[in-house]
Amino acid sequence: MSRLLRRACGVILVLPLSLTAGCGRRATPPSDAVVDAIRAEERVGNLSYSEGQGKHLFAQYCATCHGDEGHGDGQNASNLNPPPPDITTSKNARDAAYLRRVIAQGSAATGRSPLSPPWGRSLSAQQIDYLVAYCQALTRTKR
Amino acid sequence: MKDPASRSLHVAFAALGLAFLAIFSWVLFSEGVADWRTTQTRFRALETTIKNPHQLAAAASVGGLRQIWLPELDRVDRCVTCHLGIEDPTFAGAPQPFSSHPGTWLATHPSDRFGCTPCHDGQGQATDYRNAAHQPQPFVTRPMRPLETIEANCGVCHRAVDAPDAPRLDEGRALIVQSGCFSCHEIPGFDGLTFHGPALDSIGFKVRPEWLRIWLKDPKSYLERSKMGNFRLSNDEITGLQAFLLSQRVIVPLDSTTIDWPKADTSNGRALFGELRCVSCHTVNGRGGTMGPELRRIGDKVRRDWLFSFLKDPHRVQPETAMLQYRLTDDQRRDLSAVLLDEYRAGDTGPEPPPVAYQDARAVAAGRAVFERRGCSSCHRLGSMKQAGRIGPNLAGIADRNPDELVFGNANVRHTADNYIFLKVLHPDALLQPSLMPTFGFARIDAARIALALASIRKTDLPSSYVRTRPPPPPNRPAGQFGELVTRYRCLSCHSIGGFGGDLSTVPLDRIGSQLKHDYVVTYLQNPGAVRVSVEARMPLFHMLSEEATTIADYMSTVLLDDAVDRYDAMFTAAEARRGQELYAQLGCAACHQMGTAGGYVGPELSHTGDRLTPGWIAAWLTSPTTYKPGTLQPDYGLSRTDARALTAYLSSLGTGERSPRAGGRP
Repeated sequence: MSRLLRRACGVILVLPLSLTAGCGRRATPPSDAVVDAIRAEERVGNLSYSEGQGKHLFAQYCATCHGDEGHGDGQNASNLNPPPPDITTSKNARDAAYLRRVIAQGSAATGRSPLSPPWGRSLSAQQIDYLVAYCQALTRTKR
Repeated sequence: MKDPASRSLHVAFAALGLAFLAIFSWVLFSEGVADWRTTQTRFRALETTIKNPHQLAAAASVGGLRQIWLPELDRVDRCVTCHLGIEDPTFAGAPQPFSSHPGTWLATHPSDRFGCTPCHDGQGQATDYRNAAHQPQPFVTRPMRPLETIEANCGVCHRAVDAPDAPRLDEGRALIVQSGCFSCHEIPGFDGLTFHGPALDSIGFKVRPEWLRIWLKDPKSYLERSKMGNFRLSNDEITGLQAFLLSQRVIVPLDSTTIDWPKADTSNGRALFGELRCVSCHTVNGRGGTMGPELRRIGDKVRRDWLFSFLKDPHRVQPETAMLQYRLTDDQRRDLSAVLLDEYRAGDTGPEPPPVAYQDARAVAAGRAVFERRGCSSCHRLGSMKQAGRIGPNLAGIADRNPDELVFGNANVRHTADNYIFLKVLHPDALLQPSLMPTFGFARIDAARIALALASIRKTDLPSSYVRTRPPPPPNRPAGQFGELVTRYRCLSCHSIGGFGGDLSTVPLDRIGSQLKHDYVVTYLQNPGAVRVSVEARMPLFHMLSEEATTIADYMSTVLLDDAVDRYDAMFTAAEARRGQELYAQLGCAACHQMGTAGGYVGPELSHTGDRLTPGWIAAWLTSPTTYKPGTLQPDYGLSRTDARALTAYLSSLGTGERSPRAGGRP
């Protein structure tokens, strides 16, 4: 009888041990192919998720004048007087609240020329947050 | 008397009792020092540093297990037991797990309705970091998704509609539509969509035999952006298919023996090629549209008679083509053909071989068998073959397939449905499984986007209140004289009516009669110019007759209307127009719009607006641009009715008097 009990105890003890051993078998963790592929594409210049989203929006709404990298050298920039500023070196671009206001209400709302239009009614608050994040990333990387 | 058996039983029971006591006290103890309790203590400490006493008094006391119960979704999420600041904006930027939720997601997806795991995955019922599967865990099928792939879960509810703020999902779905995956697979959310390669009924008359071989071997070697994948055919299979396809000769091309080919004037052909704006749809030398096939090496591909016939009557030779029927003379067609065949080819392809009368019945039969086995008729219509239907597996519930049942081959990837789909899309034959699926040669990022879109196709059925779908628009094929012209000039290859048609043009025609003035339409159709300076794709020069242009304009201004736009009082005062001109300067319109030679070239040139656009449309567009064109670059200034009216008065006054719009070509 006691032998039987001992054996039962033995099984109960060994079972979870062998299970955990099974889990820990793999030495190098396998990669997550989908995540890696997306990261390789989007994490250029170490952009975060929000900044990456902002980059897309920037390309669609802003780059025509501000340039792909925010240097104020977009294809339409030469038609503008005053010309668009270089975001990468702008002090104002470090200020999230300022950026949010200028994007949502246009440059006229900050007492400057009206050439940069207001996007507050076309873009969601979320999208504007992404744009703000990307503009700040531009000042950070200073490419 | 002592029975040894009963004594050992006593001992066993005593031991068991002690064991149970130990387990019980362990449970009590571990519950007392559980992760979430210490986390909540840390939170209260943090709260006192972040909030002022007034806010603290107002804050609801947090304590004990908290959970969000979603009976409709059959979920219990206890994430909020530790993520205590998630809905409190004062915790923005606080260390995890206390930080408030980034962005405005919770405003559109309130947590009492959506919880946490429907978007993030992970184990909602767990109350410690590890068991909640923040990171992948053994035996957990759906650990939390990293932000890179989270959009797959957007697609679970946002089905078959553009998911706002989920660009990767949208791109993945667009890729599925462009690649026509649903020709071979049934894919929920893509029902009713069709995809066609060219019909093959008369391919024997169309292509050169040696080209066909190259194409079947690897389509991308001829055309980089070919939508057809590489079927990894053996040389025998290619020989068979080549014989079978070249024996398909139903529609005889026009006899071009009467054409005096040596007299072909290539310089005239070249001029025509530019004038007809072929590059709006066809790419040559790396530039041009993508609606039609690239023409860079067309001389290697097609036969002369066929090309001539196609230019003369494309809709007879290739009934499903998107190509419009130009009004050209035979000499012009000859010149154009000659230029295409002589100048757009890799090298000297030699004289054109006579149409082969392939009679090797055995090769033809073998080719036919390959054609059937590889499901070619899923994409290509061929009169002599019955439609094979969908040859690939149904993809319903693909995201819920058990990874343990999927074959991953030697790939060192985590065994998840996502990764399986990704690898399969990238290299269908790489997973040590024989596969009939062709290799499409997607870039890794595109394969990832497709995998992401497919990973949103779950088995579980959601309550309908969660699902966002858009019913497919009913096909609207206009009838009558207008319908004939629409067919001849293939308007719906680029434009859409009622959601039916192409999207090369950003202008759907549903309300075009309320947008454009009748006379402008008549003139424009006969000599289409550029409205937007910076846009490369232009309306082709149809050589349309003036009666035809009038028919189209008449139809537009009687049928394709929008009452909301039309009912507009267009009697403006001079004061209104003056005020409008001031507003034009004040708002900085010139940043994007050219007027004469001054101003930016992002939007349309405006100096003839009064001849072009109706006042009702100008006002409607200025007041609410995103209603009419989501994602437009026209800003919404939130204009008052009076201001919108003033601007409309000013713009309507521009160009009046000149009945003709600026004609053709670049300014």
